[in-house]
Amino acid sequence: MIPLRVAIDPFPISVPLVIRLQNDGPSEEGTAGVIHRGQGFVEYDVCGLSLTVRTPDPDALDGDVVLILPGQRSLHRLIRNGSPHNTFLVTEQCDQKCVMCSQPPKAHHVDLFDPFYEAALLGPYGTTIGISGGEPMLHKERLFDFLLRVQERRPDIEFHILTNGQHFDKNDEPILQRLDRARILWGIPCYSASPETHDDIVVKAGAFETLERNLALLGKNGHRIELRTVILNANVNGLADLSLYVTTHHPHISFWAIMQLEPIGYGRQNWGREFFDSSQNFDPIAAGVDIANIRGLETVLYNFPLCTVPEPYRRFCANSISDWKQKYLPTCSDCSAINRCTGFFEWYPEERGFSSVGAL
Amino acid sequence: MKVWPLKFREHDHGELLFTNEAGGFFRSDQRFLERYVDGILTDDDFEFLRRHGHAYRDTSDAAFDGFCGRWARRINPVSKLNYFILIPTLRCNLTCDYCQVSRAPETASGFDWNDEILRQFLGSLSKLDTETIKIEFQGGEPLLRLDILEEVREFCRNNFRQAEFVVCTNLQSVSEEAWEFLGAADTFISTSFDGVEEVHRSQRTKESVVHSEFRSNLQRAFSEFGTAKVSALPTLDVHNLPDPDTVIRSFVELGLRSIYLRRVNYQGFARKRYDFRDTQEAWMEFYRRFVDRLVEHNWENDDAVEEYYLSHLLRRIFRTGVQNHVDLRNPNWLGYDYLVVDFDGQYYPTDEARMVSRIGRLDLSIGDVDSGIDARKRDVLNSAASNFEDPDCIHCVYQAYCGPDVIDDLSRYGRIDIPRHETAHCQHHTALFDFAFELIYSEDPKVQRSLGHWLGTPKYRTELAARLK
Repeated sequence: MIPLRVAIDPFPISVPLVIRLQNDGPSEEGTAGVIHRGQGFVEYDVCGLSLTVRTPDPDALDGDVVLILPGQRSLHRLIRNGSPHNTFLVTEQCDQKCVMCSQPPKAHHVDLFDPFYEAALLGPYGTTIGISGGEPMLHKERLFDFLLRVQERRPDIEFHILTNGQHFDKNDEPILQRLDRARILWGIPCYSASPETHDDIVVKAGAFETLERNLALLGKNGHRIELRTVILNANVNGLADLSLYVTTHHPHISFWAIMQLEPIGYGRQNWGREFFDSSQNFDPIAAGVDIANIRGLETVLYNFPLCTVPEPYRRFCANSISDWKQKYLPTCSDCSAINRCTGFFEWYPEERGFSSVGAL
Repeated sequence: MKVWPLKFREHDHGELLFTNEAGGFFRSDQRFLERYVDGILTDDDFEFLRRHGHAYRDTSDAAFDGFCGRWARRINPVSKLNYFILIPTLRCNLTCDYCQVSRAPETASGFDWNDEILRQFLGSLSKLDTETIKIEFQGGEPLLRLDILEEVREFCRNNFRQAEFVVCTNLQSVSEEAWEFLGAADTFISTSFDGVEEVHRSQRTKESVVHSEFRSNLQRAFSEFGTAKVSALPTLDVHNLPDPDTVIRSFVELGLRSIYLRRVNYQGFARKRYDFRDTQEAWMEFYRRFVDRLVEHNWENDDAVEEYYLSHLLRRIFRTGVQNHVDLRNPNWLGYDYLVVDFDGQYYPTDEARMVSRIGRLDLSIGDVDSGIDARKRDVLNSAASNFEDPDCIHCVYQAYCGPDVIDDLSRYGRIDIPRHETAHCQHHTALFDFAFELIYSEDPKVQRSLGHWLGTPKYRTELAARLK
């Protein structure tokens, strides 16, 4: 597992600090160069102050854009150099309580859009930044402002924004038109074509109706959407129906991600009730994939280890589990497909997981 | 609840196929038709119709936006010019039976691009507003003018971010320099192979020495470059149709999984002699038999084979935005995204337009490399580019999947306004779509297995062949 936070010695700041760490070259505005390497730590020069980072592997931090909050004894690796999995967590608040949520909501909110803006400007050329939460659109004025400001200074940066799609309305259309639609992909979950089933899963009455309207609103304004569906015992048998529904009523959706459950947060709490063992029965998922393919909707299977998927459907599997929380099982060491395989979540409970896994 | 206008056509066993303008379809019966016409649809009818994209509650309903989205995505937008079919020479080293007008003898003079045309063509390329370009070298036999091919390719490589080249060659006489040219990663080979040795020889190569030269070049092309770079198309004469199994076997032996059955497109006198109406039935009978044999092949073998045009029609039925085949799209804009440049520098909107013009029936050129596009003439041709307003097409159950062919109408009838169902293009496509829907609604597991292959998915799903009971 790759650490996203790294310990530091107390550092005297009163406002959040965003800097890019670098092994070589002089420190200039926004960057901090190495001034001393010791046993298990490294010192950087931050505008004349010494920042001590406790790490056995300082090279892994080279080029990272990091955030240090006043009073905290660790830094946050906001943009890890060379990683495609960098995400800004903009809030932990949410208006849904989805049964599979990997990051259950909290009431408290700290606004970090300003440091995120600084971090984006320091990011490598053409990088993709994930925006996640909680529900980022609960702070949509700040989010829109952030996106517009970044796209003005850094038009090369792409955004993948995860949202529950509940908070758009007609008044957002002028801003939706100003955003760079070619560089934003909205990742929006929909769990079922049945309003009752969807609402039950996200634990919010009326959520489906709002979602349906807002998917259409984004589509009409030319925005690109990745539809995301986590499979659960509660919705798996409706996947063919959902596939028909999406391809009929939401033709502007660009991709469909069908995802296996992540065993953390509520997903871990509800694992026993909701985990669907697709290694035993892949049929309902296959039906959804086939219908989408025939209708021309590009479909991707996320978080499915290849050995749990029948051979004809393996070509739809993506290596989707983020590098920092990805692991392989002992049996995987003999597998010929390991390089193409997404593997397992770090917190995958082997004894309660897929009944059939094994080297290919 | 409102229902989008439905069109219908009787299919087998008295069932009716219903479609709407966004390409949605289902089958039902006479009783539903009566309920629809009489305005007494039931709640179950409405629920089925909304679920399948044929009805909506009001304009704020996602089903309304969904329909509009699917309708809009079926429209072929005008796109930037980035594709040229070049005829650097009309001369050819073969005298194939069906190539009546588009060739000149190998030794003839005055049938090649001169330096001036080449210079003007390259000059026009540098004015294009595109970063990518595709060039198809046709003829005649383009390898007779390897020097022009070299120069065009070099220019494109240097002036576009991405360039792709296709050489449509008969692979009859290929010099070592030509093999080297064809070997480049950005260059592809498209050749003719009529599917059965004897047929190929009788129609094309004639002499056995000439035929064995072709055979060895064909083998070399496939073994050296593979099917990713080499494709082969058969041209079939409806009066001399081959055995489907032999054609399938020959293509599979070459490693090819896609066969595009094209029939000889007679021009001039030959067209009078072989009237379309007399041959259409025989062609469709053969075509159905061929597809039946493909279905059988795909049931027995893992490496599935398709008939290219049928797969294309199926994709146009199920999907929106399938505009990758210039012969069938709607509107079928002429003279915008691709152009044919003849041996004398004249521009034509399509290759058939070039041939019609060569036999002196009609001049369908739309400018030349010197003076540029004749926009007025192009506009006239494009006045009938779409089937949206055609008084016959608007009643057709297949309108959303089809597209007009103005050039074919002009070449056969000299006009574009004869009743659509009397045209060869319409009769042929109506027969093809009838056949496609027979397959879509087939309960034969062998057919369903092939449908999955042709639509690019592991398993065909009958949920998509909806029936309203």
